[in-house]
Amino acid sequence: MSSMRLTGTPSWLNIRQRAARSRPNKDPARAREPERRVWAIGGGKGGIGKSFLAVNLATVAARTGWRVLLIDADLAGANLHTCLGVRSGSRVNLSDYLYDRVVDLEKVAIETSVPGLRLVMGALGHTGMAETSRDQRKRLFQELRKLDVDLIVFDLAAGADRATLDFFLETDEGMIIATPEPTSIENAYAFLKAAFYRRLARTMSSSPIRDLVREAMDRRNERGIRTTADLFREIARLDEGEGERFREALREFCPRLVINQVRNSEEVKIGYSIRSVCRKFLGINAEYVGYVNFDDAVWRSIKECRPLVLAYPQSDAALYIRRIATKMLGT
Amino acid sequence: MRPLSDQNFYETLEISSDATLQTVERAYRIARATYHPTSAATYSVFSEEENAEILRRVEEAYAVLSQERLRREYDARLRREELGDTARPTREPVPQPKARPVPSPLPSPQIEFDLGPVEPEDGVYDGPALRRIRMSRGVELEEISALTKVNGFYLQCIEANRYVELPSPVYVKGFLREFAKCLKIDPHRVVETYMKQFLERGEA
Repeated sequence: MSSMRLTGTPSWLNIRQRAARSRPNKDPARAREPERRVWAIGGGKGGIGKSFLAVNLATVAARTGWRVLLIDADLAGANLHTCLGVRSGSRVNLSDYLYDRVVDLEKVAIETSVPGLRLVMGALGHTGMAETSRDQRKRLFQELRKLDVDLIVFDLAAGADRATLDFFLETDEGMIIATPEPTSIENAYAFLKAAFYRRLARTMSSSPIRDLVREAMDRRNERGIRTTADLFREIARLDEGEGERFREALREFCPRLVINQVRNSEEVKIGYSIRSVCRKFLGINAEYVGYVNFDDAVWRSIKECRPLVLAYPQSDAALYIRRIATKMLGT
Repeated sequence: MRPLSDQNFYETLEISSDATLQTVERAYRIARATYHPTSAATYSVFSEEENAEILRRVEEAYAVLSQERLRREYDARLRREELGDTARPTREPVPQPKARPVPSPLPSPQIEFDLGPVEPEDGVYDGPALRRIRMSRGVELEEISALTKVNGFYLQCIEANRYVELPSPVYVKGFLREFAKCLKIDPHRVVETYMKQFLERGEA
């Protein structure tokens, strides 16, 4: 999967740099910017608001003039369609495409009630994205490149299985969601570490170094490698060239971070704390892009099967989501 | 990527070497919260001993960087060490022979506090708008109360738009002015827009 990336834009650009390189396609007659943005929203733990944020960020982008495709990559627990008030019924979904029941990906992308926002549904009851093959994912990414959209947003499944990590790594802006609870934060670190080590294992060209990376994934490894700094030193000691590739992989890995369900200013600061720990322990340069407060309007909007930013645009949570979207889109 | 034990004080607090005192203060507050024994952010990552060691380094860094004279002396020492050997760990006052150093793969760390504007889109500062701004600054109501000497109960009432529980307008104006100054927003605009609602709805 070394050449599956959906855009050629360097992934280490920070939000401002990236925003400056792409603009929404408000006027079809206007010459199009070549860059397509691709976001993946993950976080390791279930129930932390990944789908909620994916739907609402995609809705804000569509309302701002971007042509958006929202993809439910959680085949086992798909529910983006419900968040958007789309009844699944007998509609085609992503598994129909992955298992060749529908050949044309365009036909799997259905219109939603939000102008400019299309949805590729996951499928309830499917055995899980973990069972999709590397070839299936590769074909999906190749087809996605052909679609005429400005922004693709992946809503990832909970957990850190290979398929989920690959979706996170193949997009160029991976966003991690965490809530202020220790369990969610622990899973977020685990997800980030697994994602980075998977990228690293792919980047390393020598087989013994790849094995070393895999060995280091186990916290109780015999070499005593605990932090990313430990691993880097060990790799650089064994092979200077691989050490250089390590540095490059680390530089390119810049996940975004959002804290959801924040109740007070102490919990706002948890985003900074996670960023600090990512630097000190994982060596990862995570970018804290914002937080969303705990708000009754959120569950009301979910119960009504409508995006919060449309159902309760004046709520605090909607304001925070618009702020994150504005920052991500650079509008 | 330097190990924690080799990081200089600026790296420990994740700030640039030209950070203002205000940035130092804020970085310290965040670092102290991050590595506090009860912190949710480090619970699953560091052992109690590691956490305590990082916190000790944070305190040490703050003690120097928050004092102008000590910081000047420390900066001079860093410069001397840079001139001698750019990659030598700067925490060590005595040069030690080392193997060829491995350069850092990360850019120099810096805490960015700007999560984007939270000021009200319509320019009207009601209670929820003030609460949003306060949260984005990472400040608790208790801290505002301690700084302004305004009773915490009244600050809560202001944020919740509970006009009827607030005292007479002259006091509320004073509270708002102090609150706005703490949040570094325009006190005049805050008083003007909040009081308009207070007088209209509070008397209704």
